[in-house]
Amino acid sequence: MQLKQNNNVSAILAAASCALLGTPVQAQDKGDEWQFDTAILYYGETDRVQLVEGVFNANKDFGDEHYFNGKLVIDTLTGASASGAVAQSGVQTFTRPSGNDSYTVEGGETPLDDTFRDTRVQASGQWTQPLAENYRISAGLQASKEYDYLSIVGNGSLDMDLNQKNTTLSAGVSYAFDSIDPVGGRPVDFSSMVIDNGQFDSTEAYQQAFDATRLQGSEQKDTIDLLFGVTQVINRRMLMQFNYSLSMSDGYHNDPYKVLSIVDQQGLTQDIVHESRPTERTKHSVYWQTKYALDQGVMDFSYRFATDDWEIDSHTIDTRFRYNLSETSYIQPHIRYYQQNEAEFYNPFLSQGTPLPEHASADYRLGKMTAITLGLKYGMQLENGNELAFRLEYYQQTPENAGFEQPGTLADEDLYPALKAVIAQVSYSF
Amino acid sequence: MHNTKLPFTIEKRGDHICGRFSAMASPCEILVDSTDTNLAKKLTKMAYTETKRIENKYSRYQNNNLMFQINQSNNRPVAIDAETAKLLTFADTCYQISDGLFDITSGVLRKVWKFDGSDNLPKQEQVTALLPFLGWQRVKYTSESITLPVGFELDFGGIGKEYAVDCVAKTCQKIAAQVSVLVNFGGDIQVTQARKDHPYWQVGIEDPSNTSGGIAMVNIASGGLATSGDANRYLLKNGVRYGHVLNPKTGYPIQQAPRSVTVAAQQCIQSGLLATLALLQGQNAEHFLQQQNCKHWCFW
Repeated sequence: MQLKQNNNVSAILAAASCALLGTPVQAQDKGDEWQFDTAILYYGETDRVQLVEGVFNANKDFGDEHYFNGKLVIDTLTGASASGAVAQSGVQTFTRPSGNDSYTVEGGETPLDDTFRDTRVQASGQWTQPLAENYRISAGLQASKEYDYLSIVGNGSLDMDLNQKNTTLSAGVSYAFDSIDPVGGRPVDFSSMVIDNGQFDSTEAYQQAFDATRLQGSEQKDTIDLLFGVTQVINRRMLMQFNYSLSMSDGYHNDPYKVLSIVDQQGLTQDIVHESRPTERTKHSVYWQTKYALDQGVMDFSYRFATDDWEIDSHTIDTRFRYNLSETSYIQPHIRYYQQNEAEFYNPFLSQGTPLPEHASADYRLGKMTAITLGLKYGMQLENGNELAFRLEYYQQTPENAGFEQPGTLADEDLYPALKAVIAQVSYSF
Repeated sequence: MHNTKLPFTIEKRGDHICGRFSAMASPCEILVDSTDTNLAKKLTKMAYTETKRIENKYSRYQNNNLMFQINQSNNRPVAIDAETAKLLTFADTCYQISDGLFDITSGVLRKVWKFDGSDNLPKQEQVTALLPFLGWQRVKYTSESITLPVGFELDFGGIGKEYAVDCVAKTCQKIAAQVSVLVNFGGDIQVTQARKDHPYWQVGIEDPSNTSGGIAMVNIASGGLATSGDANRYLLKNGVRYGHVLNPKTGYPIQQAPRSVTVAAQQCIQSGLLATLALLQGQNAEHFLQQQNCKHWCFW
């Protein structure tokens, strides 16, 4: 005697059991409803940039391992950022990026462009589902818009489980299209900043001189990222992940708001010129992460090494330790250490009388530096089951002189001021 | 002072708490993955109340309940509630998918089959005489009422305990959404969710392969687990063993079936039914379970 439709019995019984018990059919797939995470983040650098960011994240489990993730991020940036020009003993005058106004910087002060103000809106969606047994695919789209910037990213990835799901191989690809249309136009590489020191006969003459340094219209950048990864369950408590990624970008890489000082042998600024970066960049990075579950928490350690053809090599070590204080609360200390050397074309300033290099930038983000982040997060589950968490972090970036001699009076100036910031975040999941 | 003795006990066991009581002729256990005694007490009390409610409603050994009313109805419709209608629909599905082998009207056969380990087989005519009084296809039911032909009896024995386990587990999940709870009624088990600091629960169930009543340890992370069959309930005559699972079509025990089958599935009741349906397959039990692609253990 054989049961009818033998292979279906299990599925029919599962459905009948769920109907009987009034549980949803995928009763084991927890989180059948939408799950929301919200967060407000404040990032404040001492005397420089301040950022307030709101994040709204939504996840939905459609059952059978079909997941949707949607995210909306809005941030507002205000404050000042180092322009790349060097400090001088006397007052310096700079033209604002728009060309409509100028500002002065006191002697001994690092020149900051204080017109830094922007609002960014970013929206993204990601869909993940099984493809066949032991295969998962994921695809997503992200768009980000600022006043002068538009970015659109598409991504896709394939995961394959092996070895009874103890090993997962991943391959991913993403393509990003960026378009920038800077305030006041794109500065011509190495063009001098036009500063109105009263030498122009009329406003028109000034405007004409300014316009001669600018190109109108937007510029683009295309980026392709490839990622290959292996995730391995080592044992019941330990998980390891190795990734290799390759990023290739082509197009406009300049920061249109960054400049360099050209100084003479006495260290005095003779000219301010706009920066010039290569139009291509290829970056390789390897990443290793280990998670270890302890009785009272989770240890998370990761290391990343990145190298690119701009000759920036960087090392990042990131450790977090989640310690459960009770069944409903935890603290999580966080330490991150970052180190990079300078880009091949990085120059804190250019010297008068020497031929211009092919490319040059004084952007502190391309210089030699170390950075450290120290943080603490406290999370708790509320009576209604929702989670509330607070995060407070301190960030310090310490630029270093990569062997550039500072001529004359420039020797008295601090060309590598440290940057200090605090990060505060409140998040709520429901 | 009036000292009411609680019908259950609470025992702290290191990192979890065990609540115990007795119901449905089985030892019942609630394991709570927490050290919160009040929570464990609350869950155990709820479990006891809910289990007793189901037992009192559907036990065929009581003469003042719904089941008694149905079984004494003699072809008159008896009003039923939504819960009973759902259980009947479930039983109907089981009847359909088993091609009539799983039949909640087959309990009448126990009038002549007493599986006491002896060699007292009923006479063929005794068995044949009962066959007109069973057959689920002759029962009429709607969402509001059931009509049982004269001489028929319903028996929820094959689903009642598993159903109670699932009902209790479901309510535990509601009360303690973040806490893993294991509900174990005599080896029919449901775990509400994975434990926090341990990969699984370890529970002792009666070792089905051991006729002397030994205990087998089982690790279970989440979901349901149930056992059908009973190594101690059989008849033995002329070297032939008659297990206690009866074929409603012949009135005789299923031949060459495993002594017991244990199945792990999403829900306890689903596990229980898969195990029972496997037993009804006789010597094909293992093959059937393999086809269902579920974790199982057969003892022959």
